[in-house]
Amino acid sequence: MLIIPERAEDVGHKVMSEKDKVKEAHLPKTGSECDEGSLKITDNCSGVSINDIMTTDIVIVVEEDSIEDVFELFKKYNFHIYPVVNSEGALTGLIDQDIILEMLLFDRIPRDKHTHLTAVRSLSENAKGIMTHHPVTIVPETTLYDAADLMMKHHINRVYVVDKEKLVGVVSKRDIINEVYRRRGLN
Amino acid sequence: MDALFQIFIIVFFAKVFGEIAERIGFPSILGEISAGVILVIFMIQFDNEIISFFAELGAIFLLFTAGYKEVHLGELKAASKKAMIPTIFQIFVAFCFGFLIGWVFNMGFLQSMFMAVAFSPTSIGVVVKTLIDFDYLSSKPGSMMLTSAIFDDIIGVFLLSIVVTMATFHQLPSGFHMLVIAFRILFFLVIMALMGWKVFPVLFTYIQKMHVKESIFAFVVIIALFSASLAEAFGLHAVIGAFIGGVFLSSVPLAKINDVQSKVSGLAYGIFVPIFFAYIGLSVELSVVHTTGIFAPLVVVMALLGKLVGGIAGTKCIGFDFLESLIFGIGMMPRAGVELVVISIGRNMGIIGDEVFSAIVMMVVVSIIATPVMLKYAIKAREGRMGAEATKNAS
Repeated sequence: MLIIPERAEDVGHKVMSEKDKVKEAHLPKTGSECDEGSLKITDNCSGVSINDIMTTDIVIVVEEDSIEDVFELFKKYNFHIYPVVNSEGALTGLIDQDIILEMLLFDRIPRDKHTHLTAVRSLSENAKGIMTHHPVTIVPETTLYDAADLMMKHHINRVYVVDKEKLVGVVSKRDIINEVYRRRGLN
Repeated sequence: MDALFQIFIIVFFAKVFGEIAERIGFPSILGEISAGVILVIFMIQFDNEIISFFAELGAIFLLFTAGYKEVHLGELKAASKKAMIPTIFQIFVAFCFGFLIGWVFNMGFLQSMFMAVAFSPTSIGVVVKTLIDFDYLSSKPGSMMLTSAIFDDIIGVFLLSIVVTMATFHQLPSGFHMLVIAFRILFFLVIMALMGWKVFPVLFTYIQKMHVKESIFAFVVIIALFSASLAEAFGLHAVIGAFIGGVFLSSVPLAKINDVQSKVSGLAYGIFVPIFFAYIGLSVELSVVHTTGIFAPLVVVMALLGKLVGGIAGTKCIGFDFLESLIFGIGMMPRAGVELVVISIGRNMGIIGDEVFSAIVMMVVVSIIATPVMLKYAIKAREGRMGAEATKNAS
């Protein structure tokens, strides 16, 4: 089963939800929360939690989805990575472009990847068999700064947000940049 | 020779010869071992203490990365149902053949056990390219090979832990000692499991907030060294601890960030592991191989035959036809990892001599070269028979 939003843009997994629109309507348009001439943004975003900025409409893959479904998804959308959930909605893994590329060009993968795990992955018939396990997650209460630190320090482009193991959203570098822009009145 | 210069020479030669091996279609380990052998031939003298220290780090990181990157505990359960019988057969027969060689050549019990354990593992990576080239990964024998190989590191390390513990007693342990050993292993596993379950996940949430550079990478390496040291404190070998530490760290998301995995892999396979394989080559006594008569060739033949016979017998039991069983048996023949750690430890402990060490390195080299060729012929034979049967049915 795939949950697909009505509209998807190639900016992380951003799809403008009703919540986002309401939030946007309440935000200052010209940077009233901050001094426009100042480059200091630390005070502006200190109270922002990931819950406020995360994208909640996400294209997801279910563990039992076939490989063909996954290929179709990569063809249909331009996202780089998809979260995989189990039947209870818990985030269990990720499928990214590297995995798809390795599967499509399996006879071209470098010899150092000739491990039994890569080979077993190439024979899998569903999403569960090809996903990478143990994705990095944060909780909705995480602050924007903590999420940004995580991304900047460890070169992570997006982090999935889970609440009691269930996937509730995703936040990307782009989401954080957009939020900082808005707070600084640069939108 | 200056220590820095020695390390430079070994890493340089290992990488260059590794690349040459890759270019002519063999795994880089072949070139890395050859680099060591060639340095010996050219009479380049090395300070054994320095190189063996780095080689030990190589063995530790070889097994740590095997646990950290390659073992996925969830897969073991699924694979155990499918491949249990062929796996047990191929490992058991190879183990017996190794022990038999030791017995025939009047070796002691421990030396024969080291031979047996060195005969037991398989390195599936050597034949993956051949399976891809012939589009045989998804075939019946191909998928069985992959499933069987999932157990490889686990069983290899398990056997290694038993034989090394025996070696520390220099005899077959008594019943009481066996209980003590079992308790130590169990206690170590419980500690590591608790750390993997409760401590590491929390620890890494703090580590990722640290201000020092490369905090996560540093702590992954620290945990590798900590597990290795803790294992030694429990009377186990460091490499066993490193492997188990890697397995229990592998389910901690922050420790498995791609960026960190790439750095750990770089440290291991970029520097330390090639030094370990080159050190294996450096330790080969070519003169001993010449003087041992039929011993070395017999080790090679029996090691390959053990896997072949065990593989064929195991898969015949679950209904494979002869050629399918033959393909599986050949696929189980290559060795390129754990067995070198086994003989390296055995040699350092003074259990196995130069002749056994050199003969097993020779076996590894022959298995890497011969297996893909034999596999090609076996696959072609099966394809030919299937083609003939198809023609016969059509007519």
